[in-house]
Amino acid sequence: MSGGNKVSDQASAAVEAMTATLTGDGDERLAYRGVFQRLLVRPEIGAIIGALAIWVFFWAVAGEFGKAGGILPVLAVASTLGIMAVAVSLLMIGGEFDLSSGAATGALGIVTILLVKDVGELGGAGLSLWIAIPISFVVALGLGWFNGFMVERTELPSFIVTLATFFILRGFKLGFSKLIIDNITVGRIDDGHGYEFFNNFFGSTWTRNDHQWEARDGIYTALVLGGVFLVVLAVYEFSYKRRETLNPAGLVAFLAGIAGAIAGIFIMHGTDGVGSNTLAGVIFAISGLVGFFGLGLWRYERQEMGSVSLDNEVRMSLAGGVVLFLIGLLCAWQLGVESQESVLDLVGFAKWPLVIIVGLGAGWYSLRKLGLAAVDGVAPEVLGQVVAVGGASAFSVYAFMFMSTEQGLRAILFALFVMAGLGLLAMAAVQGGRISPATRSFALVVVALVTTGLAFFVRGQSTVEKFRSEMFSVLLACALVIACWALVSAFFAQRRFSDEAADRFATRLSLVGMGSVVAGLLIKLLFTTAAEIEAGIPRAQFRVEVLWFVGVTALATFVLGRTKFGSWIFAVGGNKEAARQIGVPAARTKTQLFMIVAAAAWLVGLLLAFRLNTIQSGTGNGLEFEYIIAAVVGGTFLTGGYGSAFGAAIGAMIMAMSKQGIPAARWNSDWRFAFLGVILLAAVIANNFIRSKAEASR
Amino acid sequence: MSDSTPLLELDEIGKFYGNIIALQGVTTEVRAGEVTCVLGDNGAGKSTFIKILAGVHQHDAGAFRLEGEEMRFSSPREALDRGIAAVYQDLAMVPLMSVWRNFFLGAEPTKGVFPARWVDKKKAKAIAKEEMAKMGIDIRDTEQPVGTLSGGERQSVAIARAVYFGAKVLILDEPTSALGVKQSGVVLRYIVEAAKRGLGVIFITHNPAHAYPVGDRFLILNRGQSMGNFAKDEISQHELTQLMAGGAELEQLQHELEEAIASK
Repeated sequence: MSGGNKVSDQASAAVEAMTATLTGDGDERLAYRGVFQRLLVRPEIGAIIGALAIWVFFWAVAGEFGKAGGILPVLAVASTLGIMAVAVSLLMIGGEFDLSSGAATGALGIVTILLVKDVGELGGAGLSLWIAIPISFVVALGLGWFNGFMVERTELPSFIVTLATFFILRGFKLGFSKLIIDNITVGRIDDGHGYEFFNNFFGSTWTRNDHQWEARDGIYTALVLGGVFLVVLAVYEFSYKRRETLNPAGLVAFLAGIAGAIAGIFIMHGTDGVGSNTLAGVIFAISGLVGFFGLGLWRYERQEMGSVSLDNEVRMSLAGGVVLFLIGLLCAWQLGVESQESVLDLVGFAKWPLVIIVGLGAGWYSLRKLGLAAVDGVAPEVLGQVVAVGGASAFSVYAFMFMSTEQGLRAILFALFVMAGLGLLAMAAVQGGRISPATRSFALVVVALVTTGLAFFVRGQSTVEKFRSEMFSVLLACALVIACWALVSAFFAQRRFSDEAADRFATRLSLVGMGSVVAGLLIKLLFTTAAEIEAGIPRAQFRVEVLWFVGVTALATFVLGRTKFGSWIFAVGGNKEAARQIGVPAARTKTQLFMIVAAAAWLVGLLLAFRLNTIQSGTGNGLEFEYIIAAVVGGTFLTGGYGSAFGAAIGAMIMAMSKQGIPAARWNSDWRFAFLGVILLAAVIANNFIRSKAEASR
Repeated sequence: MSDSTPLLELDEIGKFYGNIIALQGVTTEVRAGEVTCVLGDNGAGKSTFIKILAGVHQHDAGAFRLEGEEMRFSSPREALDRGIAAVYQDLAMVPLMSVWRNFFLGAEPTKGVFPARWVDKKKAKAIAKEEMAKMGIDIRDTEQPVGTLSGGERQSVAIARAVYFGAKVLILDEPTSALGVKQSGVVLRYIVEAAKRGLGVIFITHNPAHAYPVGDRFLILNRGQSMGNFAKDEISQHELTQLMAGGAELEQLQHELEEAIASK
């Protein structure tokens, strides 16, 4: 940005601020932050975006992820991982680690089974589950208390103390299993008295194929579309400035638009022909535009939209975006769809020039970045760094070609280029917004057109049938929303001050909207239809773990955000000394956190015992790092004092998707951990980046 | 000045660590609605002085009366319960936590009954904002992390918190030492504001220029000894500075220098 621009930006900000004070709209020192900026400061936002991206990615590569049969196993894996990740995130926010948490899950399952087992001479207590389950819970609390007590008493880092507990538990698991039943596989829990009763809580399942509901698709469509509609309304309410008096003509147009859209949906569902489908789509799109324009007329103030004028910056972003997008399409079009051929073979002799070009390019770039290209006689350590960056880049390109199949390369290149292209175009819209609303809308129209093109391309090219049709409609819907946005943002004035009543109303709308979408998806996941059964879909099961997962996440989120104890967790993790000085029982809070983690391990141990019926002595060992990764991916600070339980839950979803997605995409699952590592790194970098942006925007 | 019993009265207070005399013969008083400044250079005994008042240490000689009643605190908690709140230099704040959470940390207002008891966020935010407004600062957004506040604002959160939780005597340990000129001015205004609201304020500083405009009474410490305890009308800022910098010693030094120059 040039200097002149900056000055005029500041001047306009000052003028805006002054008008805001004059009209009494909030505090002049408080730069107004729009809804997106406010969302960005949430710790979990990076994880949510990442989870969506990974889901769409695997959906595109392996159709499984778009089906209940593919999603439910992911949920099952995510649940046990997520319950622990949520508890561990609380502990990490409180500034401590628990490396024994993974081993504890297996250990507590084993304790329960050994308590119910009656194996005569070899031992086992032969207790009823009614007694064994409470006893193992007490054991869990004791374990957590021990960890907390040791950490607080010795004042050693919890990393070391719980590492010791981890080894102790590991030894106990193997030692006691062998000692008592002379076997490393401990089972079976269904021998226990009261199994039937407790199975309802820890082991019950919901088989989708046994629950038919013919109205499912109708209800699903209504809930999801209605929900999206409400969320869009909420975004408008967040973003635009209300009129003093409502305009009834706008309301009429709004209602007409809604009626038209509903009619379009009915035509789409009622008929089968391509022609009538297209007609329905056009009706839906036009009604949408009319409806949202009507909404604007009805509620929001008009503004001068100015004229479209592209400066160099916007032009570059637009052109660059379109070019990247086309490159993405070209990659998908040219590369083999089903080919499992290694990329290394595919590229042939071109691989060496490629590796060399990338290496030299990266080296040159890092040299430029270090700003020393112009200095005579480059210092040896700079040279070393440049060589390292270049070499590492060259090696990663080679390694990537070695690992990836042509099919994988196609998906990755397509996703990368298309996303980068759309990102640049979105940036053009932001840059255009600085020139005039009309310019922003012009860029948004380009985005809408490109998205429409993408929709048709996906329908024409994708191999995964379900993905093809669903992604087609999703992308078209996105294009429509963007087009509406372009229309409304050109004509109506944005609100640049806070209006608590409007914000509250919009927050409620968006919550109801999101709830409705989730309910719709849930109904689709829980029920099946006769047509699906006929088509012979595989059996899919919901396990009760999912409910526990949701419950634990909700409870932890409530505790963190809304209770005294939650405040204390942040405080002991953020500044323990200060917390203690001001009267927070710091040692007790931390000990309670260790006990919460142990209690979660007890729950997961039971869930595993009821799921598998037997538990191996090695169960859970090493998983503690996955819990920590999930928490970090979800936005929790490794240093404590900041984070979110909901984010940790999303982090667990990401881990589970990666675990299940790699085999589903028929990639070599030997590389799974490398993939996890890359995800962790990417998540942490993205989180850091977002946080620094968000803090700058405060 | 009122003739009623002072809020806090110190009579020949002394503190010894083994054979080291940390503080000796310190006498002063703090009245409600007044600011008593404690001045002294490094090592003058200011820290020991605060720690006795705040209940961290106990005095070994003299008398310490709170509202006329002889006192000997055994813990900071006890001092706090009797209404003596100390705001230390490190402020006891959690930088990543929001203003309102810091304000109420350890004493959050709740609603509902156990186990369904949660923090009354709306009330907490409203009170935090209101209390800060009473100090004369309009906090922009009580959800913003304390770490993003300026030094002066952070100081004011700490002061407002102490005031809200029922402090009668507020001890401020070098509140302006880390601040710039303008920020110091802001904090000095909060000090006056707190005194106006009926608190007795003890303002510890080594800067006479900060102390003189806001103080009603000045206690000067030097090497653990009291160099004097003055009401404002008994001393000028110049004299205060003189005393702070060593007083008589400095005059003696100047005298000797003049003689040396004259005899040349």
